[in-house]
Amino acid sequence: MGLAETLEARPSEGLRELRPRGQWALAWRRLKRDRVAVGCGVVLLAVVFAVGPGAPLYGKIVGHGPNEFFPYAVSVGLRPAGPFTVTWATPEVAGDNPFALTHPAPPKGTGKTLLLLGADSQLGRDEFLRILYGGRVSLEVAAGAALVAIVIGIVLGAVAGYFGGWADAVISRFTDLVMAFPLLLFLVMIGSLFTHGITDWTVHGLLNQGALQLILIIGAFTWFYPARIVRAQIQSLRHREFVEAAQMVGARDARIMRTHLLPHVLPPLLAYGTLLVATNIMIEVGVTFLGAGIKLPTASWGSLLAQTWGSILSPNPYNPATTQPWLTLCPSIAIFVTVFALNQFGEGLREATDPRSVG
Amino acid sequence: MLGYTLRRLAVAVVLLWILSVITFVIYLKVPADPAGFIVDLQHASPAQIAHAHHILGTDRPAVVQYEKYVVRLLHGDLGVSWPTVVFFNGHVQGAAVGHMVWSASLVTGALVFGGFVLLLLVAVPLGTFAATRPRSLVDRLSLGVSVAAISTHPLVVGLLLQLFVGNRWKLLPASGYCTMRQPSAAAIAAWKRFAPTGVPEPCGGAGEWAWHLLLPWLTFALFFVALYMRIVRARMLEVLEEPWVRTARAKGASELHVIRAHALRNAIAPVVTMTAMDAGMAIGIAMYIETVFGLPGLGRTMIRALAGLQGYDLPVILAVTLVAAAAIIVLNLVADLVLIAIDPTVTRRGRGRQRLLGRAA
Repeated sequence: MGLAETLEARPSEGLRELRPRGQWALAWRRLKRDRVAVGCGVVLLAVVFAVGPGAPLYGKIVGHGPNEFFPYAVSVGLRPAGPFTVTWATPEVAGDNPFALTHPAPPKGTGKTLLLLGADSQLGRDEFLRILYGGRVSLEVAAGAALVAIVIGIVLGAVAGYFGGWADAVISRFTDLVMAFPLLLFLVMIGSLFTHGITDWTVHGLLNQGALQLILIIGAFTWFYPARIVRAQIQSLRHREFVEAAQMVGARDARIMRTHLLPHVLPPLLAYGTLLVATNIMIEVGVTFLGAGIKLPTASWGSLLAQTWGSILSPNPYNPATTQPWLTLCPSIAIFVTVFALNQFGEGLREATDPRSVG
Repeated sequence: MLGYTLRRLAVAVVLLWILSVITFVIYLKVPADPAGFIVDLQHASPAQIAHAHHILGTDRPAVVQYEKYVVRLLHGDLGVSWPTVVFFNGHVQGAAVGHMVWSASLVTGALVFGGFVLLLLVAVPLGTFAATRPRSLVDRLSLGVSVAAISTHPLVVGLLLQLFVGNRWKLLPASGYCTMRQPSAAAIAAWKRFAPTGVPEPCGGAGEWAWHLLLPWLTFALFFVALYMRIVRARMLEVLEEPWVRTARAKGASELHVIRAHALRNAIAPVVTMTAMDAGMAIGIAMYIETVFGLPGLGRTMIRALAGLQGYDLPVILAVTLVAAAAIIVLNLVADLVLIAIDPTVTRRGRGRQRLLGRAA
């Protein structure tokens, strides 16, 4: 049997159609092999679930909210209760004897409730629930600010890299200008000066109070790193053959940027965006700790960290009898785990989306 | 070189000018009345409030205010802190902002400089050791620690060190600052008679100063140490491949001598200049550390000026912003100049930091 008959004998429908994998499929394949990145991705999913739908769900299960007071969870000596405390679910302490050695029992019929990580301060709020809700605020600020920064970065970076000339000069100078700023100092300044107006916007309840302001401020001061990435990438691509070919057939600049250049820029930006979310969490924590971010009683990881320590104008003096180390440790661990997972996942994404990496 | 320096300085002046304008404009948009520093806004008559504005100079148009500020700034006068202003015998008096900011920068400078010295003392030997034994336990451990360190918030490090080392175990002072100079006998006597409980005894002297700064320095060093260790390691690995190191080995020099006399010297110089490039980040982190440990540095001065209950202390805010930005710009310039001087292959356009990081990665 000759070759022609062999080919004839095998109908082409039986053959698997071979298609080259796209860049995203390749990246996904590489990412799946990176065990650290996969682990961190799972942790991230868990964190997002816990602070997203998990927070109200847990609140329903234990039957209270993040801003409810449980004075029975605070001892007469003003020490907040530790983890795994079951306390009376009432916002008031019965009796008013200031010399009592223990709280008197609450009126009959008062239910009990669980504080998984104990009380958050002398106010006796649920620390665990506050960490969940605080994470929601911190993550939405961090992710929102990263989104703002990347959108501004793509637009300005693409314009600077593609058109060059004065647009490039202006944007590059502007980038240098912002980079020379003492960023944190400036964030704190704007955050504490503007305490009215935009702080009350919540975009129909989508965001928490004060989050939008932080998103805009942080985004406005961090866009220059993505802009630099986009600019460098587009500058190196704009004289390549495929761009010239597109120009030759008459494609407009906007179309070239969108369909020919943007796909090259997005993968590294996605990886960078993940790292940016991690940085933004740190910034949110810092700015809120310094009294210029999310305002109480809304919890955020920054305000939870500051809870035991106090505030700038009145740091709490250390008192071994009333200080609960848990209240510093728990938010610290939450921040560390999330930022660590984001950093490692971003690093894995960067490797996976890099066309030069093997696998 | 001179032209380059002058050009950079000219850009720096423009930057500072823009920064001061932005700060000024932001301040003017703030809905707070600075007259509250002098009179009680709720009970004062309109005439009293107008007089308070006149004392502070805030009754003039914004452009005139700004112009007067710049003119005074060029004469070296940063103004007076508004909460301390008193109107006495027809003169406006108050705490000089220049003096406040100068003493605050000394504290921040001590924190940042000492922190960098401490971290280099740790990072250089460990990084060198890791470079001489790649993939050893120390090397892998340092990689793990550096990955964890970049994910740790300096506030978290500071708060945990303060809580456990300072407050619970009482190994080091948990907060407060001591001046280099011994406090006067009068100050101690005044403290004994008048100070309310909780106010610590005035302290001073080089020993007390360093002792009180130890925890802040540790916090600062812990945040940066792993990063610098990786950079020292990368630089060392690169230098150890150089032909002159091979020559030194061929001569029969001992490994210790090769590393100390030939390799380390060349590997370290750019790393030291990198500290200057990290100045911006360092000032930000110093702000956290000063706040946690109650050090009267630039960051804390700024936050106190911003957190004031009566209003915002504009002269202090402007001064701290300008001083911090100027310090960052000058240190970056110095770092670039030193890098150009020690490494002729560094061009003036390509920043040294990117080179270093590119090699380290």
